[in-house]
Amino acid sequence: MSNVITPESPLFHADFAKLAEVTKSLDAGVELEEKAFLGHLNLRGNASDEAFTSGVEKALGVALPTAPCTSAQSDAVTILWLSPDEWLIIVDGGKEHETEAALRANLTGHFAVSDVSGGQTIVRLAGSDSINVLKKSMGYDTHIDNFPVGKVIGTAFSKTSCHMLRTAETEFLMVVRRSFADYMWLWLQQASKEYGLKVIA
Amino acid sequence: MTQSNRLNTGGRINRDKPIRFTFNDKHYTGYEGDTVASALLANGVDVVGRSFKYSRPRGIVTADAQEPNAILQTGSNDASTVPNPKATQAALHPNMICRSTNGWPNVDTDMMGLVGKVGGAAMPPGFYYKTFMYPQSMWMSYEKLIRKGAGLGASPTQNDPDIYDKFNHHCDIMIVGAGPAGLSAAVTAARAGCRVIIADEQEEMGGSLLCSTQQINGEAPAKWVSDVLAELSANENVTLLPRSTVFGYFDHNYLSIAERRTDHLGETGNGAVRERLHKVRAKQVILATGAHERPLVYGNNDVPGCMLASAVSTYINRYAVVPGNSLALMTTNDNGYRAAIDWHKAGKRVALIADTRQTANGDLVKEALSLGINVKFGQAIINVKGSKRVKGVEVASISADGSSVTGSVYQVSCDTVASSGGWSPVLHLSSHTGAKPVWREDILGFVPGKTVQAQHVCGGVNGVYPLADVLGDGAAVALNAVCSMKKSIEGVEIPKADVAEVSESAAMALFHVPHTKPTSRAPKQFVDYQNDVTAAGIELANREGFESIEHVKRYTAMGFGTDQGKLGNINGIAITAKSLGKSIPDTGTTIFRPMYTPVTFGTFAGSDVKGLFDPARFTAMHQWHVENGAEFEDVGQWKRPWYFPKPGETMEQALQRECKATRNSVGLLDASTLGKIDIQGKDAREFLNRIYTNPWSQLAVGKCRYGVMCKEDGMVFDDGVTSCIDENRFIMTTTTGGAAGVLNWLELYHQTEWPELEVYFSSVTDHWSTMTISGPNSRKVLEKLTDSDVSNEAFPYMSWIEAEVAGVKARIFRISFTGELSFEINVQANYGMHVWKSVVAAGEEFDITPYGTETMHILRAEKGFIIVGQDTDGSVTPQDLNMDWVVGKKKTQSYLGKRSWTREDNVRDDRKQFVGLKPKDPKAVLPEGAQLVFDKDQPIPMTMVGHVTSSYYSACLGYSFALALVKGGLDRMGQSVFVPLADGTTLEAEICSSVFYDPKGERQNV
Repeated sequence: MSNVITPESPLFHADFAKLAEVTKSLDAGVELEEKAFLGHLNLRGNASDEAFTSGVEKALGVALPTAPCTSAQSDAVTILWLSPDEWLIIVDGGKEHETEAALRANLTGHFAVSDVSGGQTIVRLAGSDSINVLKKSMGYDTHIDNFPVGKVIGTAFSKTSCHMLRTAETEFLMVVRRSFADYMWLWLQQASKEYGLKVIA
Repeated sequence: MTQSNRLNTGGRINRDKPIRFTFNDKHYTGYEGDTVASALLANGVDVVGRSFKYSRPRGIVTADAQEPNAILQTGSNDASTVPNPKATQAALHPNMICRSTNGWPNVDTDMMGLVGKVGGAAMPPGFYYKTFMYPQSMWMSYEKLIRKGAGLGASPTQNDPDIYDKFNHHCDIMIVGAGPAGLSAAVTAARAGCRVIIADEQEEMGGSLLCSTQQINGEAPAKWVSDVLAELSANENVTLLPRSTVFGYFDHNYLSIAERRTDHLGETGNGAVRERLHKVRAKQVILATGAHERPLVYGNNDVPGCMLASAVSTYINRYAVVPGNSLALMTTNDNGYRAAIDWHKAGKRVALIADTRQTANGDLVKEALSLGINVKFGQAIINVKGSKRVKGVEVASISADGSSVTGSVYQVSCDTVASSGGWSPVLHLSSHTGAKPVWREDILGFVPGKTVQAQHVCGGVNGVYPLADVLGDGAAVALNAVCSMKKSIEGVEIPKADVAEVSESAAMALFHVPHTKPTSRAPKQFVDYQNDVTAAGIELANREGFESIEHVKRYTAMGFGTDQGKLGNINGIAITAKSLGKSIPDTGTTIFRPMYTPVTFGTFAGSDVKGLFDPARFTAMHQWHVENGAEFEDVGQWKRPWYFPKPGETMEQALQRECKATRNSVGLLDASTLGKIDIQGKDAREFLNRIYTNPWSQLAVGKCRYGVMCKEDGMVFDDGVTSCIDENRFIMTTTTGGAAGVLNWLELYHQTEWPELEVYFSSVTDHWSTMTISGPNSRKVLEKLTDSDVSNEAFPYMSWIEAEVAGVKARIFRISFTGELSFEINVQANYGMHVWKSVVAAGEEFDITPYGTETMHILRAEKGFIIVGQDTDGSVTPQDLNMDWVVGKKKTQSYLGKRSWTREDNVRDDRKQFVGLKPKDPKAVLPEGAQLVFDKDQPIPMTMVGHVTSSYYSACLGYSFALALVKGGLDRMGQSVFVPLADGTTLEAEICSSVFYDPKGERQNV
């Protein structure tokens, strides 16, 4: 039995460390990074239940974003609104257990928390041509008026799906299921080919 | 350099960039900025193809998408070849290789040409129609001949080397066409702060302004175009799409556009995207698609050298090509005069202008007269002389209504005939959305009718033709579109465009030019060149009773070509109207449908090809499977290991080895793909009671239970093990293929039927990596990896524990799909590979054997465990499966499926029931799906009594076996069924219990 435990993220096999070395001096229009090994918790509950929302705020230190397609952020936690009764809570890797425990301690009534940290990963897409890559990948309108910084959307992404948070004018975080991560990686390589692709480790 | 028809100055071609190209194996030179058509005309090439039915030589007629004759096959090899681009639209690129599609064996000397008359007689109008009706058997042989002769082009036989992709756009205003109307609209809309996309199918934006001689703001129109384009490109809210054909307009202002990005640069292989499909969702659409000139229909009007009047002007002004030396023009309107004036100004001879009107005195008419051009009013060109090039025309006076020849016929020699019968608005896109064209007598053309889309039309497509009006219309319509979005137009400045007024006389409604003989005996008067449809053919169709324009189209094949009737359909409608004594609006048009012009398959496929055609889903252990030689099987989108052959092993050998290893020692399966649903809430248990057929009220924390789900019809649709995590929390597993469907099913019932139940479902399929160790030595392997007590006493069958495995927090489930002692280890997927490798290392001393889906299938079948979707097909109840034990008899509340089991049909005793089959020949493996009969001697058609659902050879049993659904099978134990095979032989098998191995189930309980 091996004593060294090496976790492997969904895009482990792509070897981003090596690709980052190869592409580091590239003048590329697209930048890609896997935000691997973060803690992901799926939270369900009733947004109009004051005990629920205040319990979440107490546990996380951030108010739950209850308006559709919004997000909330602190140094330690990012919360994405996924649907009227569903949120994704992202914390540092390894913090998911204590965060789940904190939620369970502060919540009563009907709610659910599921640890999905192993089931998905986050791909950061940035660069001056990132919007062109998105235009190739999804039908959603990427114009800043329609998709402002901080907005979260759930969208079909080529032939898979993802949740996407805009973090800057040309920076997007995409939450993708583990088993579809390889497809997304292949797709993004193809879609960004004409603009140049720089991988960040 | 023999561009004999090229002018020394003028045009928008770049004389510093000569381009060599090959047409029908001959070398030519054109210039950058040429289309293939303009370059061929510059080189004096007259014959570019042969007609479909009569094999008559044909030349270039138009300068745009209407072209019926100059249809090319481009590309140098079987991979890059493109069938059917129009020479009038194909940009010339260096070393371009192109040929005629219709000219077998070649355009100048054609075998069919010699027998052309025979071809014509053999294929009268209605040929297609009559041949489709009868005799069916002849069609295949006709078709080969027609395809070869008709020149439909050849498909590539090799893989396409190019890259294609798709773009999605959203905008406030989508403008189709970048001529004067479109550009004027675009600038206005952009100045109003709108997000604008403007697309144009041509190589350059500017439309008619690129070949116009009318000044704007006192300067050449090209200057206005370049100023406007500069302003638009500088605006970040404007997207310019040149070389982009809007080919489809669909509901909700959704448009599709094919952009040709590299065809003008070269053939292929430059790594860039060749064609891009733009999908636009627009708030407002402005169609500024202009108008197509109509030719007139006259005798032998297909002889090379017969062209549209506007095409003649375009070649002269835009490409600096005068396609002949001596021109005869026939026109029904003032605008047609431009061709003769341009021709004259290019220094060539105008032999005649035959104006079909009795008189006219517009500005252009006056200009022609002042230039000393020979203008004849009330006359028409009734016939053309020549075969491979016009040699002259026959001219005669006609009646004021254009119905008959009134004077004697005289000859005029010339080498080019231009005709103008007026203009037809390009309303195709509006028709795509269902708007019916409306005839306007004042402009003698159909315009777009009432629409339900947020659509506006301006310029030529709106029946507005004078340049000054067109520019104004574009701006006005844009302001209108801006207002319809409730945006302000205050202070928006309209682009300055001062154009001198040109007075015009009224045009004449003439489509079909009369001849001295009746149409049926006159020289051929072509309406649709591509399908050799003549005026006489249309009249014949009308006489044979085809009166609806849609029937005329099918009967004559008018409008069936790659030009889709752009050139000839309105004339065809007018001829039908005349022959039936109806008006044109009463006759109506055929329906224009997408695509506006042909679109390549590559454009539609985009990047969704090869590895990106369908997502492949992988488990966390995939790399190990690859490195260890797994063959893979597609299960939904998942790539699952099928079996792990060792070097030199056949599939059978590998399966036998894997099966035996699992039964005798320990096997290892990657089961990560099974669906997993985290169910939480105080009513979770009650929810399970209603969705599963068996009871869940008593399942204690830490215990697991197998369950079957039925739909309302009582038929099994999924199964799996669900475990109680704590009082209000369960983890449900589903079949791999059923995962998404089951989650939807749970949500459906929760949201629509039982919203009062407090329960939430979350998919955790991807979160957990799942590996099953199975076999008598599996506990020994597990014990090496965990400190937890995994003895049978502490950890009995059908329970689960939380434990640390190989240093990683895990859930271990003691459930079995093989009938052996089994442990299913679940760990967070980032640790899946680590734990898998640890299991392999720990199992080494027991020769732990990885196995795939096939061995899993054999092992479970030996136990009679069903696979939903293989042993069931949506028509099988739990009772049919002999699984009445999984049906709750004492559940207090009803549950899905229960009601249906008492339906008359579901209690028949001859329903197909799930049984085992033991072939009489122990080595014979029955084909899966094979039909079963009780009486092997019954003559065909035999009475089929069921079918084989699963069938394998079992190394552990030492004989082959099968699972099957057999009518009344549970009461037929020991009886024989027969399997008649396609080769005429018949196999025999005995009906037996579906459990072949360890019928008491002792091995999984140790």
